[in-house]
Amino acid sequence: MTYSSFETDDLHQGFDPNQHTAYEEEFKWLKWIPLILELVILTIGMINLSSATAVEDKSLGLWKNQAVSIALGAICTLIIMFPHYSFLSRMAYLIYMGNMGLLLAVLAVGKSSLGAKRWISLGGFSLQPSELMKLSMVIFLAKFFENKNTTAGMKIRDLILPTIFVLIPTALIIVQPDLGTAMIIMLVYGSILLFLRIHPRLLILLTIVAAISLPVVYNYGLKPYQRQRIVTFIDPMSDPKGAGYNSIQSMIAVGSGQIWGKGWKKGTQAHLNFLPEHHTDFIFSVFSEEWGFIGCGVLLLCYALFLMSGLSVAYQSNDKFASVLAFGVVSIFFWHVFVNMGMVMGMLPIVGVPLPFMSYGGSALLTAMSGVAILVNIANKKYMF
Amino acid sequence: MSFIGNEEQIRFLQERFKFIYAVLFIGVGILLARMTYLQVINGEQMRQYSEENRIKRVKIPAPRGMVFDRFGKLLVDNRPAFDVQITPQYLKESGKPKEVIEKLSKLIDTPVAEIEKKLLKARTQPAFMPVLIKDNLNRDEVAELETWKLDLPGVQVEMAISRTNTAKDVGTHLYGYIGRVSQTELPILNSTSVRKYDLNDSIGKSGLEKQFEDTLRGVDGSELVEVDALGRSIQSSKNKGRVLIQNQEEPFVPGKNLILSVDQDLQQAAVRGFGDKTGGLIALDPRNGEVLAMVSRPSFDPSEFSRGIDPELWAKLLADENHPLRDKTIQDHYSPGSTFKTITAIAGLEEGVITKDTTFNCSGSITVGNRVVHCWKKGGHGNMNVVSALTQSCDVFFYRVAQKLKSVDDIAKYAFHLGLGAKTGIELAREVPGLIPTEAWKQQRFNVPWSPGETLYVAIGQSFVLTTTIQLANAYASLVNGGTLFKPHVVKGIQNEDGKVIKEFVPQILDKTKLSKSTVELVTEGLWGVVNSPTGSAHGNAIPGMEFAGKTGTVQVIQARADKVYQKCENLRYNQRHHGVFVGYAPIKDPSIVVAVVAEHACSGSHGAAPIAREVIKTYLQKYYPDMYSDKAIAERLAAEKASGRAVKVRAPAPAAGGPEE
Repeated sequence: MTYSSFETDDLHQGFDPNQHTAYEEEFKWLKWIPLILELVILTIGMINLSSATAVEDKSLGLWKNQAVSIALGAICTLIIMFPHYSFLSRMAYLIYMGNMGLLLAVLAVGKSSLGAKRWISLGGFSLQPSELMKLSMVIFLAKFFENKNTTAGMKIRDLILPTIFVLIPTALIIVQPDLGTAMIIMLVYGSILLFLRIHPRLLILLTIVAAISLPVVYNYGLKPYQRQRIVTFIDPMSDPKGAGYNSIQSMIAVGSGQIWGKGWKKGTQAHLNFLPEHHTDFIFSVFSEEWGFIGCGVLLLCYALFLMSGLSVAYQSNDKFASVLAFGVVSIFFWHVFVNMGMVMGMLPIVGVPLPFMSYGGSALLTAMSGVAILVNIANKKYMF
Repeated sequence: MSFIGNEEQIRFLQERFKFIYAVLFIGVGILLARMTYLQVINGEQMRQYSEENRIKRVKIPAPRGMVFDRFGKLLVDNRPAFDVQITPQYLKESGKPKEVIEKLSKLIDTPVAEIEKKLLKARTQPAFMPVLIKDNLNRDEVAELETWKLDLPGVQVEMAISRTNTAKDVGTHLYGYIGRVSQTELPILNSTSVRKYDLNDSIGKSGLEKQFEDTLRGVDGSELVEVDALGRSIQSSKNKGRVLIQNQEEPFVPGKNLILSVDQDLQQAAVRGFGDKTGGLIALDPRNGEVLAMVSRPSFDPSEFSRGIDPELWAKLLADENHPLRDKTIQDHYSPGSTFKTITAIAGLEEGVITKDTTFNCSGSITVGNRVVHCWKKGGHGNMNVVSALTQSCDVFFYRVAQKLKSVDDIAKYAFHLGLGAKTGIELAREVPGLIPTEAWKQQRFNVPWSPGETLYVAIGQSFVLTTTIQLANAYASLVNGGTLFKPHVVKGIQNEDGKVIKEFVPQILDKTKLSKSTVELVTEGLWGVVNSPTGSAHGNAIPGMEFAGKTGTVQVIQARADKVYQKCENLRYNQRHHGVFVGYAPIKDPSIVVAVVAEHACSGSHGAAPIAREVIKTYLQKYYPDMYSDKAIAERLAAEKASGRAVKVRAPAPAAGGPEE
């Protein structure tokens, strides 16, 4: 059955959506869990950001901008949450094309900052279309695979077309350059493919190809400063005052929080300006320095519960489009949290990936809040729990 | 359970969630393990590292470019200044904050209450951030503080750069002032500028500092500095304790210097001329449009602003009824008064409604319809031709010219050609355009047709006519150079830090009017008479042996009632007194300087404004033509003239070696 044909009658045949079982009634509130956890993490994030932006440099006072972004995100949430999520399916290709247009606009009329050209001006706001692309990409892929049966495992010919559609925007994002976002898109794409099942033989082949191509990419595909980041990741002490400086200072910040933390606004690493980008990509180091292992544990628990609630939305959906969409959204969050925290704690090389709901940045926040709105929408529109 | 789409596929996907949950738990587990490793197992070690953290990358601000006059005299400079700061945390740790504050209060002559107020105000910021207590310490205070250093824990002296106008308040409106980028400005600024600013960076706020911000601003560098446990660089003011790692130091690039066309001696002469009068003066070189002097009075010393604007001082400047913050040469427009008669004369001659020989009788007034329009001179001037009418500034003569012209547009045409009623385009912000009325303008603005009677008032520079001081100077410059209208410019070139000129600005021509030679000769003869003829309206300003020409203007500030028209200006309230206007030039032959002055509420052009221009022209001629106008040369020439028995006060083009020609 195709998606367009069920719209009205098929959906309700033999099933009254208003008639809930007692079980459903009792746990109705569970459908709101992703949103509730979002609010919890946002609150933690704002408390932390008000400390991180009390540093006398370019970040001073920026938490106010973040509050405005949250308000905008709340409006987006309301807009996305209420209509039936099938509108995303109908609009999927349009959303993809629109976002591609924005990415091209960045190339044409984008604003640069610190050598990267990632933003376009919309009135008083700067928009970062590469952030939005993560979500657009997931919507696109959910739509693309909706009617493809992948239970037998995808072969190479099944992958050619979607890979092209993923690589075009990824290439546009790489030239900006915004490697962090490009990497997240590829990770999410890979996760969705694995979720849908890749044929085992192809999977083995891909693994071998990746293993061989890594040194080639390292030597010829990366810019010197990117190679430097990997070298310093493997051995930060090789250049402690140069390229390894950020990584070391960040690890010191996290570790020096010890169990109870130094206290709100008392983190010396951030407030004495030892930490670079302490309000954006390295926000977690500010948090862990000031709130310690206890705070980090609570935050990690929040993220874990949030991701689990998102997965349960994907699991319990009775619609393939919604299931893939929800899974994709969750994988965006997962990779963001994992890569960002891993980087801040010195486990991964330094790449520009923000921590959802915690890092300063309007476009990332809008994307994240919209993602949660999609999850809640799906949770509330399915007729089972 | 109902399924949308393929049930088998959904069941299949649900099977895969076991694997997905496993991945999620492994991921979270890895992060948790790393946290435990860093914070619990190695936490103590890491805490120690953070307390011993001594290497920090700090910004080295690049010095702003300097500003020089046309002879390389330094106009705007960066000078060191000293501040005293208190770090609350150190103060508290010392255990005797009261005594420290009392001691400091004596040393820097600041009440204890004021210091405590400043500390209280800063209590929301982290305790290890220094609080500014007093800036611009004098040498003695710095020495005292250094001497008592050990008794003053938590108190330190920091060096900062102060942007200084070397001549205090002279030329501030032109050079402008700088301020600090504030918290509210920062995001707006950084969304538009290519080179980002940090909080508290210096930025040009007005004048050339603002217009040439990108030129004057340098590129900040950075270096790794050894700091103490509270993050402050160790003995930074003495440049010791810096960890200099060569390849880690990013050097700063100083800002570029500006070379102006102004002459500081003429600037000073203008300020001397003004004394405590209010108004603006601008001097141009009519041969290329270069600004030789540009001052506005009253003024202020911008050095006070460069390290944060004191709200009290700012409020005082804003409230001052003489508007010290406004540049009166370009940001205020005035009725040009009688200085506009020159344009009416040009229009009359060029349009052919009068000639060299046309005379009109001035009886003190003329009747237009049923209204009587007066000349400024009660008894009238008698028979006037164009030269004597300009010399004596006879209103009636120009009323008659206005009546003979087809319409006010004929006057406007020449006014526009001479650059009046439009921004001159000088490289400064907030220039106002002024206004030259035309028939179409009035119809559009008021929806009322032009009445011919109004043209009379336009002819003497009243009614709707408004001009800026710079426009007047430029219009006369265009007249004396034969009709070429230059865009006035004040920046001659840009110099890099080695003193090498990297960019030069060339004169730009805005308009070229062909004024007939006879028109220029007749009008300039009239202007010569203004200063040098015994009947001239500014005769009192003539300098023996040093001839210049010009035109006076006296502008009523309020519409005077008939019975008050001839009332003595000095008896009016200050803010109702007339403005004095004067535009002059020198030398008579091949003029190389035009000076326009507006002296607000100075009552008359001849006594209020002309003496100011006279001071500038005198300084100029003596400096630029020493052979001809040194005191000695003038004395010799005057003696020779006396000996030859010739009258001094005759028409004399630029005195040649042999004396006047006529």
